[in-house]
Amino acid sequence: MGKRFITGMAVVFALLLCVQPVMAADTIKIGLMAPLTGAWASEGQDMKQIVDLLAEELNAKGGLLGKKVEIISEDDGGDPKTAALAAQRLSNSGVVAVIGTYGSSVTEASQAIYDEAKIMQIANGSTAIRLSEKGLKNFLRTCPRDDEQGNVAAKTVVGMGFKNIAILHDNTSYAKGLADEAKGLLEKQPVKIVFYDALTPGERDYNTILTKIKAAKPDVVLFTGYYPEAGLLLRQKMEMGWNVPFIGGDATNNPDLVKIAGAKAAEGYYFLSPPVPQDLDTKAAKDFMSAFKKKYNAEPGSVWAVLAGDGFNAVAAAIKGSGSTETAKMVAYLKTQLKDLPGLTGNISFDDKGDRVGDLYRVYRVDASGKFVLQP
Amino acid sequence: MKNKRWIVYAAFSLVLLTSPAVLNRYWIDVLNVVGLYVMLSLSLNIILGHCGMFHMGHAAFYAVGAYTTAILNTVYAIPVLWLMPLSGLLAGLFALVIARPIIHLRGDYLLIVTIGFVEIVRIALINNVFGITGGANGIFGIDRPTIFGMKISTPGQFFYLIWFFVAVTIYLLRKLEHSRFGRALNYIREDDVAAAGSGIDISHYKLIAFVIGAVWAGFCGTLFAAKMTIIAPESFNFWESVLLFMIVLLGGRGSIAGVILGTFLVIGLPELFRQFATARMLVFGAVMIIMMIFRPEGILPPPPRTYRLDRTAEPEEAA
Amino acid sequence: MEFFFQQLTNGLAVGGIYALIALGYTMVYGVLKLINFAHGDLFMIGAYLGLTLLTALGLADYLSPFCVIALLAVMVLILVAILGVVLERVAYRPLRQAHRLSAVVSALGASIFFQNIVMLIYGAKFQVYPHDLMPRTVVHIFGMPVPLIRILILLASVVMMVALYTFIQRTKVGTAIRAAAIDQGAARLMGINVDRVIALVFVIGPALGGAAGLMVGIYYGQINFTMGWIYGLKAFTAAILGGIGNIPGAMVGGLMLGLIEAFAAAYLSVAWKDAFAFCVLILILIVRPTGLLGERVAEKV
Repeated sequence: MGKRFITGMAVVFALLLCVQPVMAADTIKIGLMAPLTGAWASEGQDMKQIVDLLAEELNAKGGLLGKKVEIISEDDGGDPKTAALAAQRLSNSGVVAVIGTYGSSVTEASQAIYDEAKIMQIANGSTAIRLSEKGLKNFLRTCPRDDEQGNVAAKTVVGMGFKNIAILHDNTSYAKGLADEAKGLLEKQPVKIVFYDALTPGERDYNTILTKIKAAKPDVVLFTGYYPEAGLLLRQKMEMGWNVPFIGGDATNNPDLVKIAGAKAAEGYYFLSPPVPQDLDTKAAKDFMSAFKKKYNAEPGSVWAVLAGDGFNAVAAAIKGSGSTETAKMVAYLKTQLKDLPGLTGNISFDDKGDRVGDLYRVYRVDASGKFVLQP
Repeated sequence: MKNKRWIVYAAFSLVLLTSPAVLNRYWIDVLNVVGLYVMLSLSLNIILGHCGMFHMGHAAFYAVGAYTTAILNTVYAIPVLWLMPLSGLLAGLFALVIARPIIHLRGDYLLIVTIGFVEIVRIALINNVFGITGGANGIFGIDRPTIFGMKISTPGQFFYLIWFFVAVTIYLLRKLEHSRFGRALNYIREDDVAAAGSGIDISHYKLIAFVIGAVWAGFCGTLFAAKMTIIAPESFNFWESVLLFMIVLLGGRGSIAGVILGTFLVIGLPELFRQFATARMLVFGAVMIIMMIFRPEGILPPPPRTYRLDRTAEPEEAA
Repeated sequence: MEFFFQQLTNGLAVGGIYALIALGYTMVYGVLKLINFAHGDLFMIGAYLGLTLLTALGLADYLSPFCVIALLAVMVLILVAILGVVLERVAYRPLRQAHRLSAVVSALGASIFFQNIVMLIYGAKFQVYPHDLMPRTVVHIFGMPVPLIRILILLASVVMMVALYTFIQRTKVGTAIRAAAIDQGAARLMGINVDRVIALVFVIGPALGGAAGLMVGIYYGQINFTMGWIYGLKAFTAAILGGIGNIPGAMVGGLMLGLIEAFAAAYLSVAWKDAFAFCVLILILIVRPTGLLGERVAEKV
């Protein structure tokens, strides 16, 4: 038994030693932390595609500071514990900055580790307000915050003249945050919230919930969750023969929404989102679109993956602008000097807390052919 | 034979204890996670391994411990490590309350009930039960532990804190294994009717095993909360319980050394397979099947209990 | 009152699918005493195979919808059944003499393996069945609109359950399966080829799961690689609720679980419905430790 134990342990340790990363200093390493496996694997794999593409383009143009850029991606599995390990791993791999990740609680688990390692982190899909309120110097994000979106959501709902509002979320940290923000703001308005509850994400049948919401007789349903559930809700709502407008948050900005719901059911669905490159006629957005189509023969997926691309653009701008890969200099450059960097989702600037500046949110409507049309 | 085994264990401990000197922060942190899971798996081992109760909801007790620590620390600023006994106690109390009516359930029915409990706990946490769990956001800003005024924050420091508790756990569990109580649990596992016939109060012993396991999981919860500084319901889901369940079975039910080795494999392998990127869990799944086929009783099943004929000697485990 | 009946049909629709998957769990459990955690993933693979065959063969272009679905069903059933037999051969048979829980770990490994291989082949994105596959007919029952496809799903579940029950109770092979379920050694002595019986069980169980996967794909449209885990857990709950190893029990358990969830969501809280369902399960097991229709198993002596 002792022998077996020691052989087993020896094998484990031998394996541990084999995979120690080899350090090389002739490239600038940029980390990408993304959910490459697990429930959000689709987002994470999109993030990797986009960042890889941008890095390739940058290298074709000669890289940064005369060096090539190398992307080191780590899987955070969409779960805080794995993310903490991924963050340790990235902090050790000699990266100068990290892009990512998706999911506020996942990002939060990695924040302290990057902070202690003094590595700049630019999150792309972590909208919880508190992330940038902790006074972490080296944390920035390209996505807007929940309070901003909640504000826009409340304004949109009231502006459209709805009186009885149903709010549905999915009990994820993001959707609940947004729903609470919107609820708080709407309660101050002359409207009534007739329904407030959460569905369980990952199920297939939401008829029970729809039947229940219908009985509350709302004029509009505000759904703050993600696109797979939104698609099913729209589809099952149509099958019920119920004609109520739906408004969604930015997590439903994904072309798969229409695929799941079907164009007929999705027609007339409104959602709020930062603009995707498809809708921008800036040069940066157009170039990116054609390059992406050429390389992957598909349209980029969700806006979050695109925001990871903007994270990369910000890192590149910081290195170029500050002429250095030192964290303090890069962060200082991004927070104070960088103004209106042309990004994939419009111009990028950061405020003192590291949050993205500007009114990012637009209202989209799905038209009869299933296209997302930017509303004026 | 006996000496040889101790040499192996001592060598292993020595390698482990000096490893932070040569490993980088990432691998130290992997060892920290492994340490936490060793403790958790050993606590499950009492219930599943020694007593043979099919328990797939261990994360529920772990969650109670972690949340107790997190809430009391963030609200009342009580130092984290002081909360360890209380976290264990509450987890144990919780186990006592829920296990009492279900302890008589047989194998797979007990399995689903424990799954049910872990899901109920997770749903309650996510729905911000009593308004104190922070919902899906969880609780953040938990203090780092301090020992004699020294703040524990780097992976290296946590390494020694966690593995110290692992060592204590192993020591106590060895005592338990060789006690009258430990033998009674094994008897229940092997043949509960015969055990009852020999005068063992089965329900009573099962309940105690359940509570001890839960208390220990509560302790782990404190360490976990201190290490992560943020805890969220998704850290305590059903899958977490399944993972612990697999560790005990892969390692060898009722074998301390086996469970430790099992933890190294189940937690360590996916980290080693990182180079396979998206395929790493695929490889992991296949490895699990293969390991089970080649060692169906686990990698290091406990040796059969043997006793010296010489009655004056203490009962000894043979290698 | 309309609300009540609406929720009743909602619950039955969900429960019908739980029941169908639970049948597969129960079949395997009945004979092998094995909780086949990979069963939910076979269900998921059924949904994916259905979609692949549908798009690859282009059946929908020249056949009527019902012919397409019937053909698809046959193909998916055969393919998933083959996969089931292979799974048994590779992952379970070597463990038949081992402790029961060893096979459970092997099943969990298979579950992880299946999920990830589907993710690698099809990608992590949601896949979607064509929307016009089934005519969206709505029939009125007592003046209440009910989509025809829901009735068909429920009907299909009931038909399969009855067919399976008759097969097990009335045929010679069915008797062999029951014999193997009670005592494999004795069955072997009576000249029953237990290996063949187990292989057969792994044809029927996974095939039923695959059929359920296809139905979910056609009805709900959206499928992804993690769906097996969620449905699998629900179906396992249903099987236990009804008394695992018992075929009518799986049906009763599935429908009941669907109804409990629907009414908990309707009259209590949507967010708490799963917790409530588990509470009911635990209460039922406290009162009836082997499920609703489970037989009282004699204590082993």
